[in-house]
Amino acid sequence: MSRKSAWILISILMIMVLTLTACKPAGTVEEPVAEEPVAEEPAVEETEVQEVTEAPVTEAEPLTVGLLLVGPANDAGWSQAHFDSMAYVQEKLPGTELLYLENVYTGSTAHTQTPAELAADMAAKGAKVVIFNSDDQKDNAIKFAQENPDVYVIHASGDSAWKEGKNYVDLPNLKNIMGRMEYGKMIAGCAAALTTQTGKIGFLGPLINDETRRFAASSYLGAKYCWTEYLGKDPADLEFKVTWIGFWFNIPGVTLDPTQVSDDFFNTGYDVIISSIDTTEALTEAKKFAADGKQVWAVPYDYEGACEGANDVCLGVEYFNWGPSYVAALKSIQDGTWESSFELVGPDWADINNPDTSMIGFNKGGALSADNAAKIDQFISELGGGLNLWTGPINLQDGSTYLADGEVATDLQVWYLPQLLEGMEGQSE
Amino acid sequence: MKISFQHINKWFGKVHANNDINFTIPSGTIQGILGENGAGKSTLMKVLTGFYQADSGEIFLDDKAVTISSPEDAVMMGIGMLHQDPLDFPPMKVIDNFLLGTRGGLFPNRKQVEKDITRLSQEFDFQINPDSFVETLTVGERQQLEILRLLWLGVKVLILDEPTTGISANQKEKLFATLLKLASQGLTVIFVSHKLEEVEQLCSRVAVFRQGQLVGEVMPPYDTDQFVYMMFGKSVEVADKSTFRSEVPYIKLENISLEDYRLRLRDINLEINCGEVIGLAGMEGSGQRLFLRMLTGLMRPVGGSILYGGHNFTGRTYPVFQKAGVAYLPAARLEEGLIPGMTLTEHFILSEEHHELFVNQKSAIDLTEDRIREFYIKGTPASQIEQLSGGNQQRALLALLRNKLRLILMEHPTRGLDIESAIWIWSKMKERCKDCTSIVFTSSDLDEIIQYSDRILVFFGGLVSKPIDADTTTVDELGQLIGGKGW
Amino acid sequence: MSLEPRAGQTPSILKKSTWIDFGIRLTAVILALVFTSLILVIAKAQPLEAYKSILQGAFGTTIKFTSVIASWVPLVIATSGLLFTFTAGLWNIGMEGQIVMGAVFTVGAFRIFDETGLDPSLVIFLAFLAGAAGGIFWALLPGLMKIYGGVNEIFGGLGLNFVAKTAAIWLIFGPWKRPGVASGSGTEWIDIPFRLPYIPGTNLSLTILIIAIIVAVFTAIMLKGTHFGLRLKAIGKNDKAAYILGIPTTRYFLLAFGLCGLFAGIAGAILVTSKQYSLIPDAGFGYGFLGLLVAMLVNYHPIWSAVIAFFFAALSIGNTELQYMGLNSYFAGVLQGFLVLFVVLVDGVRKRLVTKL
Repeated sequence: MSRKSAWILISILMIMVLTLTACKPAGTVEEPVAEEPVAEEPAVEETEVQEVTEAPVTEAEPLTVGLLLVGPANDAGWSQAHFDSMAYVQEKLPGTELLYLENVYTGSTAHTQTPAELAADMAAKGAKVVIFNSDDQKDNAIKFAQENPDVYVIHASGDSAWKEGKNYVDLPNLKNIMGRMEYGKMIAGCAAALTTQTGKIGFLGPLINDETRRFAASSYLGAKYCWTEYLGKDPADLEFKVTWIGFWFNIPGVTLDPTQVSDDFFNTGYDVIISSIDTTEALTEAKKFAADGKQVWAVPYDYEGACEGANDVCLGVEYFNWGPSYVAALKSIQDGTWESSFELVGPDWADINNPDTSMIGFNKGGALSADNAAKIDQFISELGGGLNLWTGPINLQDGSTYLADGEVATDLQVWYLPQLLEGMEGQSE
Repeated sequence: MKISFQHINKWFGKVHANNDINFTIPSGTIQGILGENGAGKSTLMKVLTGFYQADSGEIFLDDKAVTISSPEDAVMMGIGMLHQDPLDFPPMKVIDNFLLGTRGGLFPNRKQVEKDITRLSQEFDFQINPDSFVETLTVGERQQLEILRLLWLGVKVLILDEPTTGISANQKEKLFATLLKLASQGLTVIFVSHKLEEVEQLCSRVAVFRQGQLVGEVMPPYDTDQFVYMMFGKSVEVADKSTFRSEVPYIKLENISLEDYRLRLRDINLEINCGEVIGLAGMEGSGQRLFLRMLTGLMRPVGGSILYGGHNFTGRTYPVFQKAGVAYLPAARLEEGLIPGMTLTEHFILSEEHHELFVNQKSAIDLTEDRIREFYIKGTPASQIEQLSGGNQQRALLALLRNKLRLILMEHPTRGLDIESAIWIWSKMKERCKDCTSIVFTSSDLDEIIQYSDRILVFFGGLVSKPIDADTTTVDELGQLIGGKGW
Repeated sequence: MSLEPRAGQTPSILKKSTWIDFGIRLTAVILALVFTSLILVIAKAQPLEAYKSILQGAFGTTIKFTSVIASWVPLVIATSGLLFTFTAGLWNIGMEGQIVMGAVFTVGAFRIFDETGLDPSLVIFLAFLAGAAGGIFWALLPGLMKIYGGVNEIFGGLGLNFVAKTAAIWLIFGPWKRPGVASGSGTEWIDIPFRLPYIPGTNLSLTILIIAIIVAVFTAIMLKGTHFGLRLKAIGKNDKAAYILGIPTTRYFLLAFGLCGLFAGIAGAILVTSKQYSLIPDAGFGYGFLGLLVAMLVNYHPIWSAVIAFFFAALSIGNTELQYMGLNSYFAGVLQGFLVLFVVLVDGVRKRLVTKL
């Protein structure tokens, strides 16, 4: 092959470019997302209470939102919770355009570009605000925010915008939003403790960091509380084991296989798995084991519809409801009140499943007995009534004191929990 | 089977390799096809066996026009060819080599095939063990194997392309006997060669080719001069015997012992003088190759020492020998000597020592053109080496030798060459001897060995004879030694 | 055109013709496009829209276009390295692992030097040197295993790929993990001064573009114009004969591996300093494997490899655009797969035809 033919190939490619792009005037990228049927949103029930928050925004210019999903939009977990919230956003803020990409994570084979680069392209396509939906994209979110001061950045689950936090970066265009999932995890732990027959609860953890330690510990606190207070059992008889797979979801060759980890739990006497990864392997495996006649259950995570398909082994799901927070953030951009902030949003204790007000919810699963369901309701109302399980005495896994007797943990203490707690089995870092 | 060629034409680019070939080979004969290298013999045979398609013309088998589109086709029609370089699958057992050629059958019947091999072997007095590995066989044995395989596949026409190159006199005799036997059984044998005496000895009729054309058909009794004239279009003279041997010893072998997995040579002592030519005679695989390779450093002796010009070279590697002026021309041209896929020019660049970074294409092409002229290579500087005919490859190999050499080691230097080229090549080599270059070579042609050597070593079953003076010995005497008599 | 690096078996009658070669490749590309379109139609997508969207995705914005170039850089460097080993008749399947090792060593160097207060450009230079050393080290292993242990470089390379990735994962989850974190997201990012700056408004660092051009030109010159290249080619086509002709084959084998490793290491360092800023489990981003593909597709021709690498880079970047269309972005993989398939297939068919001529 000669240089000449190389040039010929280039010219042919160029001609292809020209003819193909000539088919339609460039720049009219349609928004297929808007045409997609709005994913089933059973929880959306218009309530009159919300009238107040619906300030007239008619003259506000519609925004284009970029959304980088760490996983697939239909993962029945973390990413789907985000993706579905966009339908809520578009309903509340008509005209909002969505650009989204799936599988945006470190080493993803779906993209040759880093999240920051993908975000830059979204901005070039007109996105005024980009949502980075994962802890995995944290550095990229910061980098992008630094390099694109004109674009608003929302990083879900991060702490870079928390002035009091350990990782504060002064970036006026960066906002963190996260839910107080500690409560959701406590409810999940409670459901697990109420249901377990063997007294052994498995916690299917993603990677290890502040967030995941916090949630694993919350699950344990909830489990221990219900185990002792509602069932009157000895806390020493409750086994709570954490296994981390190494990432938010399965990456073959890099992480442990969550299916395998779930199987191992069920095969070694753990009859309830609390999942804290983005995807639903634990529930799937529970269903498989149940079909073989074993008495096992699982608590999935993140997405309100996660129990679907395996409801008869599902004890319920603690989920995020991102919609209202995103609506508020977008509105603040439209009306010019945006501020860099760290937003830690709790449940609406009046009704934790209210789609317009509650960031954290819990949908009971079909496998939760009526008796236990009543206890869960009781637990939720206790929490709403001021019960704080992050109250001393609590020791860390290595036996050192975390909270002295009667001491109540601050948000900072909870967020940056340095280790798992005493009584939990599993790696702390 | 009767074979008839009608108006066969075949072009390779601008070369008219077969120019309107018409002739008929009757059934049950041994048909000689004679001609110098590049005369179009092999091309015609490859057309007959489906390797090539003729550009025009027809082939009739028993008066039926046929289209032979592949070698498999040819075998199906009963035509089998034994190639100059046997096309077998070396890293396999003999029996597997057979099984590969069988048609159909997912689970071949090994037992039956094994029996067949043994039976055929005995019939023709070959010693081939079905369970030996093909790579351990000599060229002669591989040839026998291939004949057996083709017979086993049921061919009615057996084509042999230069079958006597690379095999011993003994094996040659056996081959001829086999061919006569096959012809008497009604097989048609086509014997392609450039060796007059063989053709005269064996064939019942001869077709002579020159430059792509059929020059004529000859029936016995044969006239050698006529053949020579037909082949070359002129008469050729045999070179005179000259020697440039000096009394200065250059290489000294002391108690050299050599070993490989099937052969063991002990206590060889020899002095090779400046300008001397030493011929190595013996049946294929009697240790000549080991000996040659030992002299190049490619084979490490298990005992004894090698002295080059007073320096001890024992245990040194080939590059060291090469630096000291040793050159090696292996028999397997396209496997060890030349690089298929590269042009003549590239070969000449590689063969010279270069210390600069960039290739000077201009000077390389000039050099190549010079060598092409000097060595009468039929090809251009841009010719890929494998596109040259066998004889031209051999010329190229010789042309690649560097200028200042102390020792040239050659395996079958004129194999596949016509007489004229052989004479010419030896005159070239002898010129080098004037400058104190010594030559050690192997050949299966005893006449060549006697003609060009100063002294001769005969190899037989692990034994090496004392150097024999080439001036006083005869083909008969050597033949006896090669056959194991008179030790 | 033979896909085996040892082209010794090529039938002698094959006549090299540029135009036939070119036609063959074009046929393969067209077939691949046709079959991919078929798949798209089955998936109820508009093929033309998809191709258009890929082109838009690759060249639609400055960001995208420069991303294509930024992605072309490591690919062309990896391919260049592989051209040396392929020319020498070696299948350096271990390329991916060599890039990973380059990244590992680069990140290691940053960990050592980032607190020393040395000038950032000096530290970056040292990190590149370390990356190069890592790549060379990891490439020489299969070479040594082949020469002294008789281990086929394909198996050696496969094994070492696995070891390199495992080592990277071990470092990420073990000694090099972020404090209190154990995550597949990778190690802590290198500080901003150590990151190669992008040309403003683009996704491209000028430094890496210059490196890539130097590497590609160097490779083309070395392979096409020098005695070194010619000798490598001779070894690749017939190492026995090359040895007899006087080429020290062992040394050249190792040189080929070493050069390939050098480029792998540089590619790894580039990925760290201009893209990922950290060590991640898939630190090679598959560029090693893609490089093998490119080198094979262009039949080991340097100039073509730069062109085809660009095509693949554009494909992989443009691919993302399909997601905006609601199409699966593994589409590029489908197209790539078909390309390889058809190049091999068409090549085989051609050989058959040529033998019949």
